[in-house]
Amino acid sequence: MTVLDALQTTLADEHAALYAYGVLGARTSQAAAPLLYDALTTAYRRHRSRRDQLRAMVTDAGGEPVAAAAAYDLDDPGQGVERIKAAALALEVDGVETLLALVAQSSGTVRAWALTETTWSATWQLELGGEPQTWPGAPELDRST
Amino acid sequence: MPGRPLSRRTTLGSALAAPLVLAACDIDPPSPDADPSGATPPPPEDSELVATVVAALVDAEAVLVAAGTAVPALYARLEPLIAAHAAHRELLAGAIPDAEQPTASPATVPPVAAGALRAVRRSEQQLLRTLRDGCLGAASGDLARVLASMAASTSQHAAALTAGVTS
Repeated sequence: MTVLDALQTTLADEHAALYAYGVLGARTSQAAAPLLYDALTTAYRRHRSRRDQLRAMVTDAGGEPVAAAAAYDLDDPGQGVERIKAAALALEVDGVETLLALVAQSSGTVRAWALTETTWSATWQLELGGEPQTWPGAPELDRST
Repeated sequence: MPGRPLSRRTTLGSALAAPLVLAACDIDPPSPDADPSGATPPPPEDSELVATVVAALVDAEAVLVAAGTAVPALYARLEPLIAAHAAHRELLAGAIPDAEQPTASPATVPPVAAGALRAVRRSEQQLLRTLRDGCLGAASGDLARVLASMAASTSQHAAALTAGVTS
């Protein structure tokens, strides 16, 4: 896998994450669950910025940025604050795993960017009900399991 | 998701045993000296880098233990972070078995909760900088991935500590 492949994979995942956050946001009432609504909004903006940055990096690497699909086949997150939070948490957990692959495949400014985004997604998991882990994004390193 | 399903053995083993081969995946072109057999010893820059991170982990653990000793009521909150650092140190130290075990720098922590937590936060920020520098400087992509996961874990624990959340 080249760094361009890893960038395209990460970009494709960001398209899917943005779509999913849109669905989760649409199912969240700003009035009834303001904290969750704010957490989803913050994450959506971060992922939108991340997608735009990835597009630019793909172009800089000589590629044509992969386009978003018209729709994504999502598992139904259901309704309710806890289920929406769990679905958003799963997006960030998966995002860390993808970003770590980009860290491994890149160097220089791309790796620095991927590391920053990895740390953000891992830390944001706490806002979504997650707990600190010993090996976020790399569970195969955990000897205790 | 497209994460790479690396085993624990392949991750650091290959990271330190065949760094030049792994570096071929990076933006920079591979070194003409790269040994495709993977038998190349680790480049000095990665071995030293791992030793530097191990030393930083030892120092961070010492501050945590000192904080828990100075303010025993804090120990339960610090324990998950101590365990994470120990797991991180154990993995890295196993990759450089011949290296000398570092000694922790003396840690002085105020015997009050607020002061002890400030000392811990400073120490964790220092560790995060070391992990970030190590990740960005690693010749091996797999080692960079391991260090990035450690940085993410440290950041999570630090945020939980700030929020008063325990894992």
